[in-house]
Amino acid sequence: MIGLIARRQWCSAFETPLGWTLLAAASVILTWVLLKLLDGFVGPQALPPTALNIALSRELFGTTAVLLLLIMPLLATRTLGAEWRDGTATLIGSAPLSQAQWLAGHTLGLVWLSIPLCALPLLLTMTLLGSAPVDVGAALAATLGLWLLSLLFSAVGLFAASLTTQPAASMVLAYGLLIMLSIINGVTTIGAEQLSWLDWLSWNQHLFWFLIGAVRFADTLYFLLLSGLFLALAERQLHNRFDP
Amino acid sequence: MSTILDVRSLSRQRDGKAVLQRLNFRLARGEVMGLLGPNGAGKTTCLNLLAGVLKPSSGTITINGVDLWRAPQQAKRALGYLPERPPLYPSMQVAEYLRYCAQLRGLAPARIDHALNRVLHDCGLEQVKRRLLGHLSKGYKQRVGVAQALIHQPALVLLDEPSDGLDPVQAAELRALLGEHAPECAILIASHQLADIEAICDQVLILRDGKTLYQGALQPNHRPALKLRLMPPVRPDTLAALPQIDQVSPLADGALRVELSPGTTAAMLSRALIERGLGLEELSPEPSDLRQLFFHSISSGCAP
Repeated sequence: MIGLIARRQWCSAFETPLGWTLLAAASVILTWVLLKLLDGFVGPQALPPTALNIALSRELFGTTAVLLLLIMPLLATRTLGAEWRDGTATLIGSAPLSQAQWLAGHTLGLVWLSIPLCALPLLLTMTLLGSAPVDVGAALAATLGLWLLSLLFSAVGLFAASLTTQPAASMVLAYGLLIMLSIINGVTTIGAEQLSWLDWLSWNQHLFWFLIGAVRFADTLYFLLLSGLFLALAERQLHNRFDP
Repeated sequence: MSTILDVRSLSRQRDGKAVLQRLNFRLARGEVMGLLGPNGAGKTTCLNLLAGVLKPSSGTITINGVDLWRAPQQAKRALGYLPERPPLYPSMQVAEYLRYCAQLRGLAPARIDHALNRVLHDCGLEQVKRRLLGHLSKGYKQRVGVAQALIHQPALVLLDEPSDGLDPVQAAELRALLGEHAPECAILIASHQLADIEAICDQVLILRDGKTLYQGALQPNHRPALKLRLMPPVRPDTLAALPQIDQVSPLADGALRVELSPGTTAAMLSRALIERGLGLEELSPEPSDLRQLFFHSISSGCAP
């Protein structure tokens, strides 16, 4: 059942222009970022080739993280909001599956949808293989980080969509939550380097380690725990929606 | 006959107000029940509760012997539901959507193709099976909604305004389709179309403000009745002697309710009345039993 809902969501995204448009726009933006980045490595004041991997992590994979921040809440709120808008939530409600399975199907669908987007910077990096000293391991670690990030963003988007049937309101709520999670560590990092609990809550701190090629258990756990928390809250909310 | 649906003391409250109060009824295989009531009577809430979309405040719902809220997934396998608005994904094709619904209802993969072809044929959707749901007319959307409720041949079919948006021909086809399915399942239909209820149902449940006003068998009208008013008025037994009239009874407003003899038409009766020098002031179709029952229940707050 979970796979069935996820597959429908995948098909729905690519049966309409939305999926293709987002993928095309992301491809154009990331290719432009890569070309701009490579400009710094040619000419008389060229950077040393050893700086390439750091530049790729910061510019190319960093830009993808920003794109995910923009795209995933949009897709998440759209997919769940459409179920209420089209009245198909009633179809699901009367079908032999639980709200947890329904939500899991949507999450899996969103995570599948994010795979092409997360793989784009990796594919672009691979085009440099043979002509530049590309660290493939670091690129793979950064891709894993992006994928975990998309899981978190999807979970936040689904939670926001479970709170209201208004897609615009849920989108604003999702962006608000994610921006808060992006800057929450700003208060404590000014003039202090110790890792506080607010630092721990901020997703960019954890993504940073993936982007530099370090796959740490604590960071992986952060993404899984926070995603699980938002999905659990969304499940509760959906349960209440059917039992107001 | 085996009981498919058993509803006991079903109540639902919202914001402290009772939307449905202590509803009790049973439906067996082969029975078709009509759910009637004015707007806001609680019909849609009742169907949503029976479909497991809403949770009751109290009471139990048992489908095929399985408690809907204790084992919802098992109980819902025996359920087909057409809500007030057909639940359609606009970007899906008709056949693709029905296949998805069959999978969602847990139909075995080996049976899906056969079930899909059957329901496409039965609901007259073969011509539009490759069309996008978002591009269909209201009537076709309604037909797809009915098809998704029937594709897995459920033991219990719940239909909320199934003939809404259908033209008279399509409505007649839907009635015939439900008539074909009726022997294998129990059907509960909420509708404002009294003619539909009268044609399909053998039982009726009338609700108002969430309370049961009438519940019982629907006696079919054997012959169409007429309302007759003569000037000057005559006694009913005078008319009963006419060979064109089978039964005659007085109505509250001074007119007479007349049932014609077999083979007699209203034109034949009016000719006979004029030939006997009786002044014909009014001759019109008399509302059906269900219509009378419905309006009497609603106006008086209880069954006649």
